[in-house]
Amino acid sequence: MSGDRTKVRAKGLERRFGHLLAVAGVSFEVYEGEVFGLLGPNGAGKTTLVRMLSGVLTPTTGDATVDGASVVREPERVKARIGYATQEASVYPFLTVRENLEFRAAMYLEGPPALDAVEDALARFDLGGVADRRAGELSGGWRQRLSLAQAVVHRPRVAFLDEPTTGLDPLARRAVWDLVYAEAARGMSALVTTHYMDEAERCHRVGLIYGGRRVALGTPQELKAAVAARYRFYRVPGADPADWRGRAGVVDAWQRGGAVRIVLEPDAPAPANATPEEPTMEDVFVLKIREEDAHALV
Amino acid sequence: MRWSRVRAVAKKEMLELRRDPILLRVIRVLPVAMLLLFGYAVNFNLKHIPLALLDRADDRISRTLVRELEKDDKFEVVARAESEEELKRLIDRQQARVGLVVPAGLLERIRAGKGVRLRALVDGSDPTFAFQVQVGLQKAVGRLNARLVAARMLAGEAQPLPLALEPELLYNPEANTAAFMVPGIVGIILTQIAVILTGLAIVREKETRMLESLIATPVRPGELVVGKVLPYLVIAFADTLLVLWVGYVVFAVPMRGSLVLLLLLIFLFVLGSLAVGIVVSARARTQIQAIFGTLVYYLPSIFLSGLFFPIEGMPRVLQAVTYLIPLRYFLEAARGVMLRGVGLDVLYAPFAALVVFTALMLALATMSFRKRLL
Ligand SMILES: Nc1ncnc2c1ncn2[C@@H]1O[C@H](COP(=O)(O)OP(=O)(O)O)[C@@H](O)[C@H]1O
Ligand SMILES: [Mg+2]
Repeated sequence: MSGDRTKVRAKGLERRFGHLLAVAGVSFEVYEGEVFGLLGPNGAGKTTLVRMLSGVLTPTTGDATVDGASVVREPERVKARIGYATQEASVYPFLTVRENLEFRAAMYLEGPPALDAVEDALARFDLGGVADRRAGELSGGWRQRLSLAQAVVHRPRVAFLDEPTTGLDPLARRAVWDLVYAEAARGMSALVTTHYMDEAERCHRVGLIYGGRRVALGTPQELKAAVAARYRFYRVPGADPADWRGRAGVVDAWQRGGAVRIVLEPDAPAPANATPEEPTMEDVFVLKIREEDAHALV
Repeated sequence: MRWSRVRAVAKKEMLELRRDPILLRVIRVLPVAMLLLFGYAVNFNLKHIPLALLDRADDRISRTLVRELEKDDKFEVVARAESEEELKRLIDRQQARVGLVVPAGLLERIRAGKGVRLRALVDGSDPTFAFQVQVGLQKAVGRLNARLVAARMLAGEAQPLPLALEPELLYNPEANTAAFMVPGIVGIILTQIAVILTGLAIVREKETRMLESLIATPVRPGELVVGKVLPYLVIAFADTLLVLWVGYVVFAVPMRGSLVLLLLLIFLFVLGSLAVGIVVSARARTQIQAIFGTLVYYLPSIFLSGLFFPIEGMPRVLQAVTYLIPLRYFLEAARGVMLRGVGLDVLYAPFAALVVFTALMLALATMSFRKRLL
């Protein structure tokens, strides 16, 4: 199936834990060379979804194909084709950076190609300087870098990266995204989960997941355009968003900087001293979740 | 099975082990410490056993008997009782572990050529101890018997010899308990090291959240199991040699049979025990659970192996259970090789049992390892 440019095809993936429906019938696709963001708050079901896609967790119903292999019927074939970085950076603390990479590479490759892969990953991820340091001594950012390098040391066609930037400072986060894009530029598809709204802007396309459901899907521009068509956004001077909430036509209001940001129904009149603004991914996220919760009530 | 993966797993495990200071110390110190502890503490070669005497004869012969009893410090006459009730009381209060009744008119009856029965009250609450006491008593009485017979023959009194029973311990004439215990201790140490180390090996990956990454790779369960077992096999083997050497130097444990056969035995047993550890590890979620899991295996092993309590003395049901205890076969075979110097022609049964056990456990270990979460 090398001609297929759809690298991940999730079809109604669902997973229950007892009574809890952690992932509810999620479908989406990830294309070749694409950086696909899975955006959702804690507990949304991101990790559960990624685990099913990696072949380590069986879906209750539904299926997905990853690089042509079914996660339900042939999970071991899926595993051979992907790279997976788990949510907690999984490195062996007593092993050096190089030894960690060697170990992971040996699971997929043998002989000289395995050794080349390690050297190559050290170079690509700029880990040469710390190659002989124990992984346990690395700072969070470097450990995350190693974790990423491990996930793609064998140059998989598809990588699942579960919250690779959580807990990192902005510089380290940016470095992680640059590395992800560098891999994608070589043709790898990456599915990256995050709960940072601003990071969604970095993805080619984004799936918004909330309460186990996919509540939105599209490019960041599409998603923002969609909310821009349904709401209007303003900035008004003041320091009390509570003043605005509950007023007719006001969907939401919150403090931002020295002003209050308000979201209005499309036909609501703009307040006097209001400055129009563009929607952000945060707006998309908040409004989608608000709509989802409203649906849940009726 | 791809060897490069097995090798990578084994190498990683070895590196982790070598760099984990606590684990390393446990592996180095524990076996020898245990051997020394067991070797000295579980000393069945008793001395100074407190004996209470009710001497109704109080003549030349009864005094000779006391000297024979106290020979080699085996018994120590700690009290002289006036009545059997007093004798009983002394034993009840543990002031004496054995009471001996010498009937009145001992000398006269022996002169008259009549048999004399010496009654001994032995504290049977500890069977091993009781056995030692009986052997000690019989030895002392036997020596006295021999002297009496010799004296009467010198006196020209041709009389039928009174039966003299001289118990003799085969294979271990000096009643060197260390010799008897060391094969068992080797077995216990191997079980413990092997089961606990591998018991922790996989669950450690779970606890440090490494397992998820590992099972998301194409590695096969068999490769992982073999890779995890190999380093511990080497370690357990090295530990065994160390323990055997210490046993030989400190406790003068004999090695009468084939060393190759013994090593083969150890190899089999260790492999089986390691596999048990993997089975436990694959099911446990935390290291604590794994340790309890290994204890569930380890404790019955010790008590039902025949090391401390003879299997012959167990109730039928328990005797049947002992057939499931690999340590039992190991003990049988190790004592056979080390103490009696016999070979496979005699020991084929325990060897075969161990082969079956090890194969089953390896299969079970590979099957219990699932490459899925939950
Ligand atoms: N193994 C599990 N057993 C029971 N519940 C689980 C398990 N894994 C996840 N959950 C639940 O499923 C939901 C989704 O969790 P998760 O996929 O980890 O979300 P996220 O990664 O988006 O934070 C949560 O409510 C979580 O408590
Ligand atoms: Mg998560």
